[in-house]
Amino acid sequence: MVWRIGVDSGGTFTDICLFEEETGRLEIWKLSSSPDDPSRAIAQGVVEGLEQVDATAGDLGFLGHGTTVATNALIELRGVKTGLLISDGFRDLLELGRQKRPSLYDMNVDKPEQLVTRDLRRQVPERLKSDGTVDLPLDVEALKKEVQLLGEQDVKSVAICFLYGFLNTEHEALAKKVVSEMLPDVFVSTSHEVAPEFREFERLSTTVVNAYLGPVMKRYIQKLRERLDEVGLKVAPQLTQSNGGVIGFDAAANLPVRTVLSGPSTGVVAAQEIGKMAGFPNIITFDVGGTSSDVALLQNGICNLTGEADVHGYPIKAPMLDIHTVGAGGGSIAHVDSGGLLKVGPRSAGAYPGPVCYGNGNEEPTVTDANIVLQTLNPVEILGGRMKVRRDLALAAVQRLADQLGLGVMETADGILQVVTANMAKAIRVISVQRGHDPRDYTLMAFGGAGPLHAARLAHELDISRMIIPLTPGALCALGLLLTDLRADFAISRLTELTEESLAAVEAGFEELSVQALDWFATDNIPEDRRKEIRTVDMRYAGQNYELSVTVPAGPITLDTFKKLEEGFEAVHKQRFGFIAKGEKIQLVTLRLEAIGEVKKAQLQSYPKEGTSPDAAKIDERGVWMKSEGDFVTCPVYDRKLLKHGNQISGPAIIEQMDTTSVILPDMTATVDAYLNLIVEIAQ
Amino acid sequence: MTTIDPITVEVIGSALSSIVEEMGEALVRASYSTNIKERRDCSTALFDNKGNTLCQAEHIPMHLGSFIGILPNIMKRFDLADIKPGDVFMGNDAYEGGATHLPDIVMAEPIFVDGKLIAWAVNTAHHSDFADLGHEHIYQEGIRIPPVRLYKAGELQQDIQNLFLLNCQVPHERISDLRAQMSANRLCVQRMQDLCAKYGTDKVLAAGEELQDYAERKMRAGIAAIPDGTYSFSDIFDSNQWKERMEFSVDITVTGDEMTLAFDGPPQVRSGLNMIYTSLLASCYYAVKAVVDPTILPNAGLARPLTVTAPEGSILNCKHPAAVEGRIAACQRVADIIQGALAKAIPGKVAAAGNGCCTGAIFNGIREDGSIWVYLETIGGGGGARPSKDGLSGIQVHLTNTSNLPVEALELEYPLTLLRYELVDGSAGGGQYRGGMGIRRVYRVERPCRFSVEASRVSSCAWGLEGGEAGQMTHLDFGDGRTEFKGMADLKPGQIVEIVTPGGGGYGDPSKRTREAIERDIAEDRITPDFAKQVYSFSE
Repeated sequence: MVWRIGVDSGGTFTDICLFEEETGRLEIWKLSSSPDDPSRAIAQGVVEGLEQVDATAGDLGFLGHGTTVATNALIELRGVKTGLLISDGFRDLLELGRQKRPSLYDMNVDKPEQLVTRDLRRQVPERLKSDGTVDLPLDVEALKKEVQLLGEQDVKSVAICFLYGFLNTEHEALAKKVVSEMLPDVFVSTSHEVAPEFREFERLSTTVVNAYLGPVMKRYIQKLRERLDEVGLKVAPQLTQSNGGVIGFDAAANLPVRTVLSGPSTGVVAAQEIGKMAGFPNIITFDVGGTSSDVALLQNGICNLTGEADVHGYPIKAPMLDIHTVGAGGGSIAHVDSGGLLKVGPRSAGAYPGPVCYGNGNEEPTVTDANIVLQTLNPVEILGGRMKVRRDLALAAVQRLADQLGLGVMETADGILQVVTANMAKAIRVISVQRGHDPRDYTLMAFGGAGPLHAARLAHELDISRMIIPLTPGALCALGLLLTDLRADFAISRLTELTEESLAAVEAGFEELSVQALDWFATDNIPEDRRKEIRTVDMRYAGQNYELSVTVPAGPITLDTFKKLEEGFEAVHKQRFGFIAKGEKIQLVTLRLEAIGEVKKAQLQSYPKEGTSPDAAKIDERGVWMKSEGDFVTCPVYDRKLLKHGNQISGPAIIEQMDTTSVILPDMTATVDAYLNLIVEIAQ
Repeated sequence: MTTIDPITVEVIGSALSSIVEEMGEALVRASYSTNIKERRDCSTALFDNKGNTLCQAEHIPMHLGSFIGILPNIMKRFDLADIKPGDVFMGNDAYEGGATHLPDIVMAEPIFVDGKLIAWAVNTAHHSDFADLGHEHIYQEGIRIPPVRLYKAGELQQDIQNLFLLNCQVPHERISDLRAQMSANRLCVQRMQDLCAKYGTDKVLAAGEELQDYAERKMRAGIAAIPDGTYSFSDIFDSNQWKERMEFSVDITVTGDEMTLAFDGPPQVRSGLNMIYTSLLASCYYAVKAVVDPTILPNAGLARPLTVTAPEGSILNCKHPAAVEGRIAACQRVADIIQGALAKAIPGKVAAAGNGCCTGAIFNGIREDGSIWVYLETIGGGGGARPSKDGLSGIQVHLTNTSNLPVEALELEYPLTLLRYELVDGSAGGGQYRGGMGIRRVYRVERPCRFSVEASRVSSCAWGLEGGEAGQMTHLDFGDGRTEFKGMADLKPGQIVEIVTPGGGGYGDPSKRTREAIERDIAEDRITPDFAKQVYSFSE
């Protein structure tokens, strides 16, 4: 018996997903997180999970782990005292950013907190030119003085970023050597290693975030490894990155900036695999929690990687799945503003006091309260009976809002859902229409605690005709860890034109990336038959400053490759901007190589087909308020656990399970597929 | 008229704002010139078929002035019945073309649904061109374009484009940026048609009307919270491009939920510092919204409770043929005095003056291949101290919010080296809460070029409030002994030019600043121990 375990450690719960390779058995275990020391709940969860299936740590073949340690340390500013070495003249670049004020109209909004205070930003006499050649050689004596000063200030980490450091790494490497010699216990992060790309501020910001989080991550990983050793774990644990792939602990400790979106990324990976299995490769994911919704678009089963994102106010250049987050979740608070319009969020009632219906003293109605009032959510108890709710309190809170709006209480509850749905739809427009994709061509996959509750309305709003609700929506991120490969991304900025003359340079560039990948494959002990490389190049018309990513066909780089790149670029440009500028010069900006170590993934079990009638799973009936009727409509309530492959449910219906509630509206039909996913078709 | 519930209004409102934001992204990403692709000096908006703003993206508030002007000028010259789907109008003239200065090229495309013109897609982009010209009157400032059809029913009017491009110094960038502007409008047309197909055109238009009423209600609610009365304020407007200091003043009268802003200023001048009336309006809309309620939707409804006057033929409401290229400098001061007057009305809720400038540097020259290059950048400065916290350092204020150009992009595209880009120690006005710090930029010129700078606060300072002190002034150094300059300069290779922008004003009595805050400022070199001693009576 070899078990594979995925552990997703979130703010509230730690989800464990266990999978047995031979039998395909899949089990889920959930326990409360231990935010003061997340490794405690993780180790405990692993032990408890294994006990559940009568296995021991020795039976473990793989442990993948998604963590919010880096994200939380960044949000809560719990990184370490960090120093910066930067080109002379540019001490304030970190604070200046792109020179824009954070809010156009509201002067009370602040810039994000500076992760390196001004006294610890030290300038080094040195200067490179835009072609990477040296304008002013690095003054080593001056550098040593600055490093000594940082040492006296007791910094725990040092970021090093010089202008054009991505083109010529000499000065940064020299500075790193000096720091490592003089301050051997300090974490060092250089811009050419962390984010070797054009645009100094974004590269600097990424390098600084990495330095700021480095020691935190190192400490966490060390502790987790000790705890896992204590429980007898034999395998090297893996950590998820923002790109959805996993990476060894050591690599993760050096590049914590690559794990800031570790949490939501594995949900997307799971959606990718489930979509493929269910036969729907074009998916929009819809992951709704208490305070936010994460959405992503998968075309042909693949979620695009983005090279840069703003994470809690800090620009970060790192390969991340293109996940867009909006402050709209179950706990989002509804209110009427001074102009008399109904607004929902981004303020959230959080886990405590939580929605009004929890009875913990909150009086402002939330999205969850609206669902309780409409009875889409069980008006008596939720979480599979673990928690009682107070519909009377929720109703009174929504009534207060209704009085302000001059609408009926049920219309208002329904309105809260309409408004929050519009906010969610806006997030989906960002990743679909704004990138040239029509959401109507996609299947909506709903997960997270509140995704399946709102997906039906969202599908209507976006004219989407099909949804999938996976079997374990609440633990999808943990499941994703068992479905993903080992992945490392390598990039190199090489500004050239798409002409014959640059063939050699491009070939050499990819060769260099291949060498780096080979090194990684060896370090992470990935057998040769499991190694895969995907090459892409960021391209643009000469003159533009934003690039479009184009896949490089396999094989040697030839003129034919360039021709295919040109065609690929034109197709993407046409899709994004509606035109092609024939005859304009095309530039290659960044060469990228994604190295993949394929792992044996969990194969979800399929079940034999049974009858269409879902009657055996029907556990209750309740009135659910529907806007189309202006009244409560009696809906059957089904238990998800009892539904079988082949069962069909016509809306309106409610399907309850411990981790979520699914709503099927009147014009929808849900069918249970072989993997027990709900496939919901919507009549047009 | 279709009646519509507040929830549908909110839902359609979200869709409209995501359309204009999407237009903005397309424009930036498809464009070629540094001023648009990196500095984002462009804006996008949707107008209803009566010419009212339905929704403006959160880019550059100054551009609201351009947007207000374009549709009335189109309607003045063209019969609505002759306007066809696929027509695209361009214009840039301040008096006839719907812009506020010639580099801002406005493009407007009608949106038709079921054969009916229901709305307009409009965007404007600042084309960094027309450099090294005069500013005695508008005829010196570049080609003047009234609204003309660049596309007729989808067909490019090549002769018009040729005429325009021949008048541009960097035609290759111009044509590419125009294409990006086209792309943005096309997207908007498509998205609006989809929206109408989904909700019905009547409903979308009714929601548009309601969104304007909603903005109006919020503006009225905000004004009503200000005590009735007349609040006056005046300030100096100065510029390195004009010999005299000028005084701008405003009387703001609040009566119930309405506000009148009556301005006074000197007669228009033979310099590019004049503003047309729509520039004045854009300045007022920005400043009043920022103080009264920053969350009001930026549409035409917010203007309804406001009355704005200024003497015709003055610098604040100029007449043809006054030059207007540098109007933003004066507009920034207009926003300052509105802020100053409202600070008297609602003390404790308004910040001290920010740097009040949009310091612009324009370099241009000839490349080795004979083509002309033009580089424009505007530099931020200190923000004003807020009633409960320090001001922001090194930001754009008021009517502009353009990005800087990354050094690594600047040096790649132009023969310039940036030696320093930093905050200016000691530049912020002291106070219980200090102002934000100004910016120093030091350039080394690598090839001969022509250069001009447009700066304000050269002889006046950003004021403090409630006892807070003023920030430091602008300082210019041309590396050849000159620290004052009007017009254009010739720069030689190796010459070093320095621009220092003003710091923001402080808020509250400096004696109330905490010891901890002063010590931190000293440790971070933001002030010297001497400064601390003088301003804060601080001793170690």
